[in-house]
Formats: sequence, C-alpha cells, structure tokens
Amino acid sequence: MKRRELMLAAFAAVLTATTALMPANDAAAQDKKWRIGFSQATTIEPWRAQFNKDIIAEAAKHPDVELIITDGEDKTEKQVADVENLIRQEVDALLISPKESAGLTGVVQQAIDAKIPVFVLDRNVETDQYTQFVGGDNKLIGRAAGEYAVEVLGGKGKAQGNVVEIWGGMGTQPAHDRHDGFHEFTDKEPGIKNLLDQQSGDWKQDQAYNIMATALRNNEKIDLVYGHNDPMAYGAYLAAKDAGREKEIKFIGIDALPAEGVMWVNNGELTATFLYATPGAEGLRQAIKFLNGEKVEKTITLDTLMVTKDNAAQIMKDNGL
Amino acid sequence: MSLVRLVSRTKLYWGLIAIFLIGVLSSPVTSSGKNIFLSSGNLLDVLRQVSTTGLIATGMTAVILTAGIDLSVGSLMAICSVVCAMLLTVPGETPAVFLGLPSVSAASLLIGAVIVRFAFLNIEKVRAGKDSIRDIHLDSMRGLVLPAVAGILLCALVLSYLLPQVQTKFGVLGVLLVAPAVGLVFGAINGMIIVFGRLQPFIVTLAMMVTALGIARLTAGQNNAVLPVYTGSNATADFDILRQLVFGVVPMPGIFFIVAIILYGAVLRFTPFGRYVYAIGGNEEAARLSGINAGRVKIVTYAVSGLLAGLAAVLYVAQYRQGKPDAGAGLELDAIAAVVIGGTSLMGGRGGLAGTFCGVLIFGLLSNILQLHNINSNLQLVLKGLIIIGTVLVQERSTGDLFSRLWHSRHQPEVKGSAAEERSSPETVSLTMGGKKE
Repeated sequence: MKRRELMLAAFAAVLTATTALMPANDAAAQDKKWRIGFSQATTIEPWRAQFNKDIIAEAAKHPDVELIITDGEDKTEKQVADVENLIRQEVDALLISPKESAGLTGVVQQAIDAKIPVFVLDRNVETDQYTQFVGGDNKLIGRAAGEYAVEVLGGKGKAQGNVVEIWGGMGTQPAHDRHDGFHEFTDKEPGIKNLLDQQSGDWKQDQAYNIMATALRNNEKIDLVYGHNDPMAYGAYLAAKDAGREKEIKFIGIDALPAEGVMWVNNGELTATFLYATPGAEGLRQAIKFLNGEKVEKTITLDTLMVTKDNAAQIMKDNGL
Repeated sequence: MSLVRLVSRTKLYWGLIAIFLIGVLSSPVTSSGKNIFLSSGNLLDVLRQVSTTGLIATGMTAVILTAGIDLSVGSLMAICSVVCAMLLTVPGETPAVFLGLPSVSAASLLIGAVIVRFAFLNIEKVRAGKDSIRDIHLDSMRGLVLPAVAGILLCALVLSYLLPQVQTKFGVLGVLLVAPAVGLVFGAINGMIIVFGRLQPFIVTLAMMVTALGIARLTAGQNNAVLPVYTGSNATADFDILRQLVFGVVPMPGIFFIVAIILYGAVLRFTPFGRYVYAIGGNEEAARLSGINAGRVKIVTYAVSGLLAGLAAVLYVAQYRQGKPDAGAGLELDAIAAVVIGGTSLMGGRGGLAGTFCGVLIFGLLSNILQLHNINSNLQLVLKGLIIIGTVLVQERSTGDLFSRLWHSRHQPEVKGSAAEERSSPETVSLTMGGKKE
C-alpha cells in the first residue's frame, strides 16, 4: 500500500519535472495569419540543425507566420506520425524534408488530398503532385568540387596526383551524386589515380580518420583527399596530421557549415569546401509567397558556393562567429 | 591426452593466430617489398583503433561473467564524450553546460531517491516477517544504500558546480577524473536498479541506453549535436598527450586498454571479488547461500563497466577531437561480440579477460586486413559477419571435436544399436537419425 503511494508520488514528481522543463507554448501565436507546419527528418546532424536555424530565422522575419517544427528523430514512422499530426492540425501549408522518399510518399499524398499545399525540401518523394520542390543539387556540387580538384592538381589536361575519396553512406543518393559529379571531371584526367575503391566513412569524422590512417599506411604518396562532407575531410586531415603528412595533401569537403567546414577552411586545415545550402529559408519564403496568392515554380535548385581561404573569414563574420 | 588438454586450453588463441597468419600471408607489400600488415606502425594502428571497443569489452566481460549484460555502455560513452568535449572547449562557446549538467544531476537525484525508497520498503517487509532469503539479503544491503546515494549526490554536486572550473584549473587530469566518474555514477545506477529492483539486467540497461542517449543530447544541446574540440585552444594542446605515442611507438589509448585488461584481469583472477564474480555467474543462489554479498559484487561490475566507458570516451575525444551524443552508438554490440568470440559464456561463470583481449584483437585485425585490401565497404560487412561465425565455430568446439561430429553424422548409422550410440548425447542421436533418413 505504502509502496504504491510512494511509487505514484515518484511518478508524479517525474511528470512535473518533465512538464516544467518543456518550453511554454506561446499563447500569443494563436492570432497569426498563416500556420505553417514543418516536418524535419532529424535534428541530430549539424546540417539539419543549421537547416532548422535557417528556417526559424526566416520565420522571425514574417510576423504573420506561425511556424510549427516537428522532429522525426531519424525514424520514418515517427516522421509519418508527425505529418499526420500536422494534417490533423489543419496547417495552411506543409513543409517537409523527408528522411527517405518511399516511406513518406503516402503521407505526403494524404496531405495533398487534404488540399494542403506541400513544399518538399532537400530530398524528394515519389509523386509530383506537390506544390514545389526546393533543394540543393549534389551532382552540381560534386562537379564544382571535381573541377576545383583538377585545377589544384595541375589544370585541365595536365592534372597529376593520387586521390583518396571517402564516401558518405554507400546506400544514399547524395553520396552517389557527390561521387558522380566529382568523377565527371577527374575521370577525364589520365594523370589522376584513385587509390580507394568505395570506402564509406558513413558521413562520420571518426570513421574517416580510420580509413585515412590505413590509406596513409598503404600509400606513400597522397595528393588530395575528397570527403563527401566536411567532418570526413576533417577526420582525414586529423589522421594525416597525426602521421605528420598533412602539409603535402589537399583536403576538399562539402557542406560548408559556418561552424564546421568554413571554420576549418579559415584555419587552413581544409583547402576548400562547397556549400550545400539548406533549403530552410528559401522554402519558407516560397511557401509564404504561394499562400499570398503568387505563383511559384515547380522546382527550385539552390546554387553552391566555393569556400576557400579568400571568403571563409567573411562568411564566418556574417554568421556571427 | 596431455596434448588434447593443451589444445583445448589454448583453443582461445587459435582464432587469433589464424587471423594473424591470414593477414601476414595476404598483406599487400610496399614498393620496397615491405609487408605492410606486419609493419609495426600498422599493428599499432590496430591497437589504437580497438582500444575504445577494448576498454568497453573489458568492463563488459565481468558483467557477462555474472550472467548479466550491459547494453548502456555506448550511450554512457556518449554522455562522457559530451562532458569531456565541453571541458575542453573554449569557455563562452558552451552555454549548454548550464542546461545539461543540472539535468544530469537532477536525473541522478531522482533515480537515487527512488532506489532508497525501494530498498527501505523491502527491509520493512523483512521486519514484518516475510523473511525469504532474498529479503534478508536485502536487509544486509542497508549499509550500502546510504553511501551509494551519498556518492550519487556528491558526484552530481561536483559536476554542476566544479565542471566549469575544471577545464581551466585541472586540465587533462581533471578530464581524466571527471568523465570516468560520470560513467561510474551511471553504471552504479544500473547496478543498483538491477539489484534492488530485482529486474533483468537486459531491461534495466536497455532503459538506461535510451535514457542516457537522451541525457547526452540534452547535455550537448540540440543545436550543438556535435561538439568539435577546436585545435589550438590551450586545453586541446594539453590533451595531445592522450593521442601521442609512448616511447615513440605505442599509442597511448592502447596503453590504457592493455593496463585495464591486466589490472581487471588480475582482480578477477586473484582476489576474492573475482572469485565471487565467477561464483555468481555459476549459480547466484548458491553463491548467496554461501555468504557472498551478490548484490554488492554485481553493482561493482556495472559501475566499473560505466567507468571504463567513460575512460573510452576521453580517449575517443582526444583521438577524433569531437564529442557527440551518438559517439558510442552500436559499440555495445561490438563489445559483446568481442567478449563472446573470446570464449566468455553469455550464461555467465565461464571465460575471462585473456579471451576478451583475443576477441577484441581478432575484430581489429579483421577490419584492418579488409581495409588494407581496399575492399568495398558493403562487402566488408558481409565478410566480417562470415569470419566472425567462422572464428567462433573454430573456438567454441575444438577443431578435433568439429571433425568428429562431421564423421559421426556420416558414419554412425552403420553401427546400429551399439554401445556407442546408447551413450551418445541427445544431440548426436538427432544427428544420426538425420543421417538414417538419407
């Protein structure tokens, strides 16, 4: 008897503590004109965190918009539930950045059937009845990186060097696009030799470190490392640094987050990185445009930007670093 | 006979030797004809790479010897890596310290309070006359509860108030004390819930795995999912010592791993505590009846497991210059696999750290060989799985046994009704019957 009471009391204490920790919902938000729901796939990756930062910053510029952000926690079933929930809340527009295409197509269709305009961000779904797609083009970015690599290795037609490429996840489209774009340029150069056969660092700094440590052991001459994202390029840099060979190698990454890639380029650790812009700000702008009765294009492709020592400091300054 | 005993006593090492030979024979060579696999640099690379998994497998071995399991080590490592990265990051860039640490302390407090309630209520039951062996045993635990809770409180207080100062005042030593201490506290909580709550270790540590992941994320702050340790700040320069080579050859993380194996191995082998661990794994009730304080022993094994996860986290941060809430993700499975490959039984009571050391090295050498051969990442996973199965098969039965089984299944049907068949185990019988049908 006593035991049950105590357990109840403990349970109640936990509940109270949890509720107290949760941010209070702003009651003033009720009278805003547009309620826009945004279903994010996950927030645990830095790029996704930047994505959320961008969209929140953009929403702050529009006083007539209430933005509801949900976190799919990197699970398809959670994200589907999130979107169902937003549909039930009858949001005026739905922004979604799907974790994966197939699993989320159904629920996106459901939103379309419920007459909610849907803006698909970053990764696509398997239907074209949505209002708009906004995203970066990984192939385009890979091409920019490949063109730059050829340039630093000696220029078109004369490029020479051994290249280590560290893949992101092997099963993900971005990794394949970043690979294909890069090789459109480097494969034309007979002087460029690829040292590794599809080694995946799974987008992670620590795994890339270990791949690079072995590659350094296996190869006496490495000229350039191409990481499918900045943390992997940086992990490879750290491995080379620990082996005392970082000076002879050029490191190229992708993503250009202000607190990661751009900072590493600014420190002289990476040679260059290429912006994979988050569609957060642009997506929200487009949605508001559409809600206000303007026409929007079916697809918007975000451009990339090459970040080198020349512009890194300015970008960091612009982002308050 | 003595040869058979020698083979069966050393069968632990066959897998390791086999993998090593494969490595040597198949290794690519440098342009000057040097065997890359055998080069000291490469083997020491392997030692460095396995040290994180190795430390965790060390703690896991003792836990498994008590017939328990610790699924939370990966998440505990994540928390510790986040705490560690915070200590090393330049002040002013980690506002999350103020969000995360109080939440860690609050969680410890709450869990501590619940445990006290549970424990004392059970003691009251004993006084009321329901004195089964277990309840009397819990009564004897009373001495342990208050110090343990006091320890949790103390750690929580130390964490929330001293942490911001540690990074400037104590440097590397401070980090090496604080991060493992955090692991120790969480490990002890695991053990206490298992013992006082009389719950399955699987469930408790599974719950802790989830809880700890959440706390790690809270501590890191949602927008700081990864806490990079910036090169160039003073703290990280001091931290260099943890990734340097000792005497210019042996990587520091490897030293930590080997020392941990030797120390804990000695404790398990030569102290009463070690004998209790094996006794509990063999038969917990019998151990209890013979006067062993099983609960206390179990709590210590979980606490040490947490402590080693914390130590692994420090080395992880030093090596990769980052702390993050998914640092140890999946590591508990690698560690369990290494322990099992090393011959420790999941049922408890049988095995030891020498085996775990081999298991960890087998794992590491395997990855290294596949990587040296530049084998496609997806194919690496397949090959790893197959080779693990192969290694365990060779080690679990001695090779001779394996052959005799094959022999039996083919030829036994001929000797119908013989004495040999009557004496054979049920397993062999079923094999022979399978043979008959063919």
